[in-house]
Amino acid sequence: MPRAAAVELDQLSKSFRVRRARSTGVAARLRDLFSGETQTVCAVDKLSFSIAPGERVAFIGPNGAGKSTTLKMLAGILQPDAGDVRVLGLVPSRQRRQLAFQIGTVFGQRSQLWYQLPPRDTFELLGRVYEVDAPEHRRRIDALSSVFDLGTLVNTPVRHLSLGERMRCEIVASLLHSPRMLFLDEPTIGLDVSAKATIRELLWTQSEQERVTLLLTSHDTGDMERVCTRAIVINHGRLLWDGPIAALRRSYLKAKRVTLWSEAEHLELTLPGVRVLSSGAYRTELEIALEITPLGQVVDAALRQTAIRDMAIEDAPLDEVIRALYATAATGSVPS
Amino acid sequence: MVADNVSFTRALVATNFKATVALRGAFVIQVVFMALNNFTFFIFWWALMQHVTTLRGWQLGDIQMLFGMVAAAFGLTVTVAGGVRHLGRFIEDGDLDTLLTQPKPVLVNALGLRSQPSGFGDLVSGLIFIVWSGQISWSRLPIVVVVIAASAVIFVACGTVFFSLAFWLGRVETVATQLWELLVTFSLYPEPLFGGTLRLLLFTVLPAGFVGYLPVRILRAPSLANVTILMFVATGYLCLAVLIFNRGLRRYGSGSRFTTFG
Amino acid sequence: MSAGTIAKYAAFSRISATQAGRERNELYGRMAFFAVILGVFSSLWRAVAEAGMPVAADPKSLVWYLAATEWILLSAPPIHLEIQEAIRRGDVVYRLGHPASYVLAEFATGFGLLAVRAPFLGLTAFLCAFAFTEWTPPLSALLIVVPFGFVASTVITALYLGIGLLAFWLQDVAPVYWVWQKLMFVLGGLMLPLELYPAFIQRAAAFTPFPSLLAAPASVVLGTNAVTPGALARNLVIWSGVTAIAVSWMFRRAVSTVTINGG
Repeated sequence: MPRAAAVELDQLSKSFRVRRARSTGVAARLRDLFSGETQTVCAVDKLSFSIAPGERVAFIGPNGAGKSTTLKMLAGILQPDAGDVRVLGLVPSRQRRQLAFQIGTVFGQRSQLWYQLPPRDTFELLGRVYEVDAPEHRRRIDALSSVFDLGTLVNTPVRHLSLGERMRCEIVASLLHSPRMLFLDEPTIGLDVSAKATIRELLWTQSEQERVTLLLTSHDTGDMERVCTRAIVINHGRLLWDGPIAALRRSYLKAKRVTLWSEAEHLELTLPGVRVLSSGAYRTELEIALEITPLGQVVDAALRQTAIRDMAIEDAPLDEVIRALYATAATGSVPS
Repeated sequence: MVADNVSFTRALVATNFKATVALRGAFVIQVVFMALNNFTFFIFWWALMQHVTTLRGWQLGDIQMLFGMVAAAFGLTVTVAGGVRHLGRFIEDGDLDTLLTQPKPVLVNALGLRSQPSGFGDLVSGLIFIVWSGQISWSRLPIVVVVIAASAVIFVACGTVFFSLAFWLGRVETVATQLWELLVTFSLYPEPLFGGTLRLLLFTVLPAGFVGYLPVRILRAPSLANVTILMFVATGYLCLAVLIFNRGLRRYGSGSRFTTFG
Repeated sequence: MSAGTIAKYAAFSRISATQAGRERNELYGRMAFFAVILGVFSSLWRAVAEAGMPVAADPKSLVWYLAATEWILLSAPPIHLEIQEAIRRGDVVYRLGHPASYVLAEFATGFGLLAVRAPFLGLTAFLCAFAFTEWTPPLSALLIVVPFGFVASTVITALYLGIGLLAFWLQDVAPVYWVWQKLMFVLGGLMLPLELYPAFIQRAAAFTPFPSLLAAPASVVLGTNAVTPGALARNLVIWSGVTAIAVSWMFRRAVSTVTINGG
């Protein structure tokens, strides 16, 4: 086999039949019952992309964009309606079991750990599930436990673990059989800031060390930026944007945000492409469209009026970039 | 391959059992109270049979044996395959997702979740009822074991079929639970009470005849023919259940089919 | 209680009745189950009659007796499950701040369900019992069974509420419910009139609310005239009072433990 893509989607589609909201009144309800009126909603619409082995990809989109549906088709959970999918050279819907040996999944909203038992019990059962030879499996449990700093957690019943601790165990569980590909659906949902940071760092290191291909969906742009190098953005089941995360910033962030603290109480800047976001005494916040007026010109103009005591230059947060992306998608023109 | 699956199933049952007894206090209470529950219910038969010694040929001992048989088989079902009563919800809520990403048969995996502690109470009280009926000699112990196992297999198979309807119909929780309870209810009453078309139903759709009546006939008078029939029937129901479940799995919607999706 | 208070809790009942009206599946399930049980027992009583009836009643009236006891029992919604869930999730603590008593609101909710279930199950009872026996008890008997049965069912709902509240102290109230239910089966004479049980069981039953809730109202259809409507009413009043006091005492105890120890 040539060095094939880890994931390959070609014109993948999936729709769901959704039952109409029930009408009220006995007669209407009876009618509903017999006509069985359903509505077809297209969740994934002719989606194509491919991912090379070892890549770490963030899969981004608003609620209902079709991210989870796509992920589930890749993992062999859902059957596609049309189009082709290959994961590690296998067709998930037909070769589910073979594929299962080579992929790992983490669903932030579901657990594969046995709630009443310590994670170690689940880990050991997973050894039988993935048919790993017992001594080797035990070594793997110990190795991953130390990387993920599980310590005594492996022997603590899951019901006593915090969400962050549990998620670390979930990820270990999904890595035990040394999968070549890891799918993560909202792995940091509900976690606090420091737990999120830990998870991100561990995911990054682990995939770096073992060359695990990673595809993760998240609503948290921090997950994408800290873990992934590439972003695939979809909306309404269709591809909106695909490329390096840095490029996503650049192509959408043609503006910088500058805050100036001045000697004079007020600054009057009327330059093309410069918008005052807020201004108070001695402080002015600007958004500058760099292609129209370079940053230097703005600073020069300010210095001509007064002395500048301090200055902060920021990119707009990735959140805003993505929001802008959806907005332009809605109006029709998508640069890439 | 086969060896791997056997070792997996054994590990699954063991883990399940461990999880069940993890909360020791709750476990003991459930076991004791379920046994108590069964004995209390039986007071009804005991009181009635004080006044009427035989009911179309059935005596208290026969009813005890039936009751014990069904309780033991039911107990075995919900301890070893406790997931069966949750299949409907697993299907509707998308709880099969994780199992589908594992390289093992989804049905086995799903059945092996959620062992019910109360099942041990059923199992224990069932065995006590059988012994107490005074109709079984120790030499028949192997037959008792075989018959209870076959009966449990039929319970599992029927439960799987009833709850797999969720693949096609969505919210079937209540209907499937009712069908399941009807099966249990019918199997707890003496066979001669039912005649006509109902009998046909009790040996097909709601096979109370095979989980209760035939086993009791076998225990009263063991015959190779009847044991063979029972084994054959149990295998048949099981194959049907596996077939239907796997068919349904193709329609599995991961909890998205009838609601919203994300 | 002021008119405003009554209107407030009536709103809880109304909303749960509307909800129950929307989600009929469970009700249909209960109706089917009820029909089957009546079918099974009508053939059981026929078989018993062949063997010689041990009680001064014919198999037909015993089917109607069962129709009445099961109607009372099945109409009461098993609200203990939801209360247990709410307690486990810690919702109750938040509800304490609302200007409506948690216990009364839950009871009103249960009553709303009961009000939807009772007519449907009553109709099932009537039609099935009639189909299996081709006979009906005298109208005067039914006119006593229906109102007293409805009140009994209301008291049973309140008792389930009490079982649900045990979740403040127990990990799982289901075992309590099982045994409670089976005691109700036996001591309440659900399937078998109490006279057929040994004397010690009858004596024990007399100390519990169960005979007043099931056997007494239902036995009117047996035509034995064992209880008068006056006695029925008196017993129901007594047991409603006892239940109300017990449940509110339990809730006060629970709240004090929660507010002292935290939720």
